[in-house]
Amino acid sequence: MKKKEGFRRFEREARPWLFASLSLLTILLVVVFPIGHTVYLSFTNMGIYNYYDYSLIGFGNYLDAFSLGSASFLRSLGITILWTALNMALQLVIAYVLAVLLNSPHLRLRKLYKALLMIPWAMPGYVSILLWKNGMFNGQFGYLSKIFSLLGVDVDFLSNDIMAFLSCTVVNLWLALPFMIMIIDGALQSVNRELFESAELDGCNAIKKHLFVAIPSIVPIVSPAVLITLFTTFKQFDIVNLMTISPVGTGAHIETVIVYAYQQAFITGNYGYSGAVATLIFLLVVLSTVFFDPSFRKKGAKHGSR
Amino acid sequence: MAAARTWEGEIARRKAIEKAKTVSKSVFLNAFFIVIAFLTLLPIIYAFGISFGESNSLLSSSLSLFPERWTLENYISLFEDYDILTWFGNTLLLAVSTVVLVLAISIPAAYAFSRFRFHMRGATIRFLIILNAFPSVLSLYSVYTLVRELGLSNSIGGLLLVYVGTMAIFGLYNLKGYFDTIPYEIEEAARMDGCSTFGVIMKILLPLARPALAVTGVMVLIYVWNEYIFAVTFISNPDFYTLASGLYGLQAQESTGSWPVFFAASLVVSAPILLVFMLAQRHMVSGLSAGGVKE
Repeated sequence: MKKKEGFRRFEREARPWLFASLSLLTILLVVVFPIGHTVYLSFTNMGIYNYYDYSLIGFGNYLDAFSLGSASFLRSLGITILWTALNMALQLVIAYVLAVLLNSPHLRLRKLYKALLMIPWAMPGYVSILLWKNGMFNGQFGYLSKIFSLLGVDVDFLSNDIMAFLSCTVVNLWLALPFMIMIIDGALQSVNRELFESAELDGCNAIKKHLFVAIPSIVPIVSPAVLITLFTTFKQFDIVNLMTISPVGTGAHIETVIVYAYQQAFITGNYGYSGAVATLIFLLVVLSTVFFDPSFRKKGAKHGSR
Repeated sequence: MAAARTWEGEIARRKAIEKAKTVSKSVFLNAFFIVIAFLTLLPIIYAFGISFGESNSLLSSSLSLFPERWTLENYISLFEDYDILTWFGNTLLLAVSTVVLVLAISIPAAYAFSRFRFHMRGATIRFLIILNAFPSVLSLYSVYTLVRELGLSNSIGGLLLVYVGTMAIFGLYNLKGYFDTIPYEIEEAARMDGCSTFGVIMKILLPLARPALAVTGVMVLIYVWNEYIFAVTFISNPDFYTLASGLYGLQAQESTGSWPVFFAASLVVSAPILLVFMLAQRHMVSGLSAGGVKE
């Protein structure tokens, strides 16, 4: 009797793992193992000069990350913070203005405009980036280059740091605005019209109406999506990589942390050092996920029932 | 014309002003959005124009967006001089197999995490959320090492493994979220009638979860279609090029290749996924929000 009960319990505990085994094993192999391997490499001196006979060197790579000169981890961290702040600010302001205008009662064709504005979202991201790089910014036949040279200004969009940073920002806005417009547009439609009207009666001007009525009431609705966008902007890799590094470097050095980690592995060949940078970013991402993700708050409250 | 200002006249005048204001606002707004929409579509329009132009028209300094003489030569060259059909086939094969495999491994796993209560359940879910926050580029070199050690470098199988593993967390999480919204009582009734767990999943749960299966499948499909960094890093043999690595290669041949062909290829690569996106868009938001947020 007791034996049978023990077996039952074992079965109850083992069955879910059996159900999940294929999925979890695949995740272990393709996601967890590479992360562990990267962390392991971060404590070694693996690089192109000692590709096969590398050895453990402790925290050396981490010390390097915080002490190297100008082309260092800290510089890329600064660029990443600037990149994230600038892009989020521009995105929120532009998306808000466009969403408000799209909701104007005088706009009959709003569905058409909305559909057109959503197209960048549906394009494959890497194709869009390459279209911008080769179609808009190319020095010989890029459309923007043509416009500027007709104006008598020769602009090199991708070879100096500041222009490349701005060009990448333009591309990121192009890619990310549709989602943000959609989110804010949806939120605005749920704003209480009466609140707006009573604000008008109280003598609020247009700016006050937005600052004190519309924006406070959409903040709780849009904040999860804004948070997700904050993370994706911070983790954005494709734009800077395809615009300034791959397949051939353009001369600009605007590596964000993730691009920096990639570049240290695949271009410079400092696999150990790259692993240390990757581990540091991972720790940062984990800490902020635990801090921001709702699943990590209100512990226990959800797991009780059924 | 100092006609007496009657009440009616005054009202009519005010109405006319109001109407003029409305009209001018509407004209201004429409003009504004036409400009915005044009700026938004400019990179695509320009690519479209170049792709239908003759290859020597590229360097003309005129700002015209459309070619002087239209030609299909770039599209013809794309299919005759390049293996775009092979790339297309490889991408399609990868996309479909990834969707099938992700669903196949995620359905039982999602069922387990949705319906069973066991040790480490919550901890495992939180661990998966953290893993999902990890940008996969950071471990690219280690993933490359893994694929090489498994003898799968330069093969469709290697890419398939990586894609399935990368999307497995999303599949599990999204399906679990949807399963959670399906009441357990429906299952219990079937169990009373002698249905096995397998039968319950196949006959009761999956038909009910069709929207979530569709959304998960479409999201995985879009992921594979739009993925380039693994495809470019892991595949050097042109026989196994995907659309992404093929297109990437087209731009690399700056000196020899033809830019109009590159732009033609960009549009050909995007067209199918644009179509999928347009068809799925309406259902996507509902299927995602139903699956995503809840725990």
